[in-house]
Amino acid sequence: MAVLLFISVLLIAACGLIYELIAGTVASYLVGDSIFQFSTVIGSYLFAMGIGSFLSRFIHRGLAYRFIWIELVVAVVGGFSSGLLFLAFAFTQGFQIFLYLIVIVLGILVGLEIPLLMRIVRHRYRFHEVVSHVLTFDYIGALFASILFPVVLVPHLGLVRSALFFGIVNAAVALWSTFLFKGQLPSPRRLQVLCVIVMLLLSVGLANGKRITGLAEDNIYADEIIFSRDTRYQHIVLTKWRDDLRLFLNSHLQFSSRDEYRYHEALVHPGLSAVPNPRRVLVLGGGDGLAIREVLKYPQVENITLVDLDPEMTRLFSTQPFLTALNQKSFLSPKVHVVNADAFLWLDSSPEVFDFIVVDFPDPTNYSLGKLYTTVFYSTLRHHLSQQGFFVVQSTSPMFARKSFWCIAETIKQSGFKTYPYHVYVPSFGEWGYVLAGQRDFTRPTSLPPGLRFLNVVGLAGMFDFPPDMAPVSMPANHLNDQVLVRTYDREWREISH
Amino acid sequence: MKTTRREFCALGAAALVGLSVKSDRTLAGEFVNDSFQLGHLLRDRSQFPAPSQVVKIPLVIVGGGMAGLSAAWRLQKRGFTDFVLLEMNHQPGGNSRWGENQITRYPWAAHYVPVPGQKAEYVRELFTDLGVLKDGQWDERYLCFDPQERLFLHGRWQEGIEPEIGLTPGDRDQFRRFADLAQSFHQSGGFTVPLESGLSSRHAELDQISFASWLAKNGFNSKPLLWYLNYACRDDYGALAADTSAWAGIHYFSSRERQEKGPLTWPEGNGWIARQLLERVGKFVRADQMVHRIQRDGNSFRVYAGDTEYRCQCLIFAAPTFLAPYLIEGMPRLHDFQYSPWLTANLTLESIPDTHGPQPAWDNVVMNSPTLGYVDAMHQSLRTFNDRTVWTFYWALAEGTPAANRQMLLQKDWAYWKEAILSDLERVHKDIRKCVSRLDVMRMGHAMVRPSVGAIFSPERSRLKKPKNRLVFANSDVSGISIFEEAQFRGVTAAEHSLRALGQAQIE
Repeated sequence: MAVLLFISVLLIAACGLIYELIAGTVASYLVGDSIFQFSTVIGSYLFAMGIGSFLSRFIHRGLAYRFIWIELVVAVVGGFSSGLLFLAFAFTQGFQIFLYLIVIVLGILVGLEIPLLMRIVRHRYRFHEVVSHVLTFDYIGALFASILFPVVLVPHLGLVRSALFFGIVNAAVALWSTFLFKGQLPSPRRLQVLCVIVMLLLSVGLANGKRITGLAEDNIYADEIIFSRDTRYQHIVLTKWRDDLRLFLNSHLQFSSRDEYRYHEALVHPGLSAVPNPRRVLVLGGGDGLAIREVLKYPQVENITLVDLDPEMTRLFSTQPFLTALNQKSFLSPKVHVVNADAFLWLDSSPEVFDFIVVDFPDPTNYSLGKLYTTVFYSTLRHHLSQQGFFVVQSTSPMFARKSFWCIAETIKQSGFKTYPYHVYVPSFGEWGYVLAGQRDFTRPTSLPPGLRFLNVVGLAGMFDFPPDMAPVSMPANHLNDQVLVRTYDREWREISH
Repeated sequence: MKTTRREFCALGAAALVGLSVKSDRTLAGEFVNDSFQLGHLLRDRSQFPAPSQVVKIPLVIVGGGMAGLSAAWRLQKRGFTDFVLLEMNHQPGGNSRWGENQITRYPWAAHYVPVPGQKAEYVRELFTDLGVLKDGQWDERYLCFDPQERLFLHGRWQEGIEPEIGLTPGDRDQFRRFADLAQSFHQSGGFTVPLESGLSSRHAELDQISFASWLAKNGFNSKPLLWYLNYACRDDYGALAADTSAWAGIHYFSSRERQEKGPLTWPEGNGWIARQLLERVGKFVRADQMVHRIQRDGNSFRVYAGDTEYRCQCLIFAAPTFLAPYLIEGMPRLHDFQYSPWLTANLTLESIPDTHGPQPAWDNVVMNSPTLGYVDAMHQSLRTFNDRTVWTFYWALAEGTPAANRQMLLQKDWAYWKEAILSDLERVHKDIRKCVSRLDVMRMGHAMVRPSVGAIFSPERSRLKKPKNRLVFANSDVSGISIFEEAQFRGVTAAEHSLRALGQAQIE
């Protein structure tokens, strides 16, 4: 009897601490600034426990009955706390309100537990024994929880399911207490049924823990997710809201169907229209087939090779009706040859030469992608470019990442090319930049293919002019052994998102 | 293409909550490239079969590591092809041996060459031959990609290997003071690569005390600084600062020019150089040929290897010099040649272990670990996407005596080292056991010469540096430090000397 009782103390102490740790972790995870989050969560939790202890003086009768009820409420609130916090972050603007509300409610309830329990058992032991025993097990439980949390729970169960699991433990203690304090309860059977219901409820949550985070993810993309897949290479998400279809790769926006034509027309035509009689075109990246849609507007082009790492991407954009409607079934053209390979390795081993090359890679967000923006990469590209040829590089935003943009331009220049940087406005991206380059002089084309929605010969002239806030800045070139670009890019975009 | 903080955090949260329980992989592996069995035959003066054939040839090179291969490269460049190179192991290359699996090639020991300064003219000549240096420009494919190094300390990774997190102003002062001192030693011209071109008696007294004592004497007591300097000694000499000559400790920091960001490196480390050299001079190499006796006979040598007796006028001894007294009849025991025992391991990773903070680098070091960390063989790949790789794990057994550590290398089984290595990596990569599918271990009892106190200026070493009666010692251990440039320098100069000696022999 005594042992069982003190194990209950140990367990409820552990549960209490776990909820507190979970709240602190979720908050620092979602909002950042872990020192502030942990300090305030722990502070308000302890203070709320004090309120609970104070309030315990007002409970005079039915101590065991109320203790079990408190356990059940803690089980439900604590058990669902983590999931609730994630959902609150994704769906509401008031994450902090939910956070401190949950922390304070839990703190008050947990603060009530120990004083009540001590009073329930005070007749069985002498006072100094009660205090000593209960507090000893209380602190052991705390140690137990604080070790369990980082070592077992977070790595193996995750935050949502850890909370649910301890909710079940709380409910189990409640159930167990109905037997321990049988004599002091008016109707133990009814309480027992209630305990079982709470445990079932939490178990259902435990089984569906992952779905809760899925639900939260849905909302992060603002619009309805119509497609989501983890391939070996990336996380592909398509969202749709009314007529706006958006593609996200690893949660980076790739295009919005409302204005992607601006991006892709500007990517392809200024350069390709300047190449006399282009026959062979290479597209690196661009697995959405939108760049090749533009290239196909040149009937004299006989062969288009597209190199994209991810076969899932090119398959998806060759087969899904709502996607092929967007790229006008560009992948089905007999001129198009798809190669699923790592672009740098493919370039390094291929002997092919092209009249125009579109380099449409993701932004240099890490050192791996940064390799695709180095002097060695552009020097390799030179071996694949015909005498009359040009290539164009999507080069991030000269507005938001001005230094990065001019770093890319400088890198291409130092790789032995004449460079012609330009920019356009794409509403869903903002001001966006490209660097056109070749080994001969570029003169702006005097005609463009028919049927363009954005680009015209008059507008072309303005694109090559950079207003003062995007004007060139002196930057070193990006080298494989010194990736200035990745560090610059990281700094510039970080300044924006803060 | 931007992600807001909110999107990023919630995505990450989804990933965190979605973590599932993965189980450990079954792990294969074994000891590879063991060569102590052969060495111990020599030590124990075992009986070898009598030769069944005699080959007369003007020049024999013993040992197919970097020194031997460099000698062969030089001889061939000079148009001399009348020689053989005898290599004890199946795979030539010595400390530049490499391995290969479905994922990548990887090194077994030496894995980089610092960008050579102007003084290292033979190294620059070699790299020009190999296409690494073109019109005075280094091919950037062979310069170590960014990020080069990271260090794990105080529970997190930092970029770069010199400790930066948690330094007190006092620590920073000492780091600066040490760098200034190293710079002034550099400017003195006494510390060069190759070492021979700068060696001067002006600094000989530094060879008489240990690096640790010298540091203490000069008031260096910052813990992060001492860790860093100790790490350098363990990494380059396999010895603690207390067991390293102060001259050698200073040489490490004072011998290099400030130049572009290096070093030169390849997926298979210096195995790449060995492969390039073997492509050119492989035809002279006789592998699996352990030399077991060398006799001087008047003006010529009899070199016994396997079932063959080679008779030659000139001999380049490019194998580790400590073997010479066991091979060359009448050669006295050596006293100033101590060696550090090492262990390396190659880990095949089927997925990339989790990491936080700075992105994985080429060289990844954990502060206060007895090991030296690991190098990622895929780092020099041009790929942008990698989900498998090979890590080369380095461990110089520097604590305790070399003899005791060699005993331990022999006694402990593969499972012991596997466990030690995984536990060490587990400190920084909790999921390492879920990622690794194979772990091979290479044990080297005499991995590299140890520049102990007195070693660099030892009279014994000076004697061996001088060719005598057409015998040249060419291993880097003759210089006193085991680095690629020394091996190459000794190999090339030995080749030059031998050509002169052979020319003279013809005149006589």
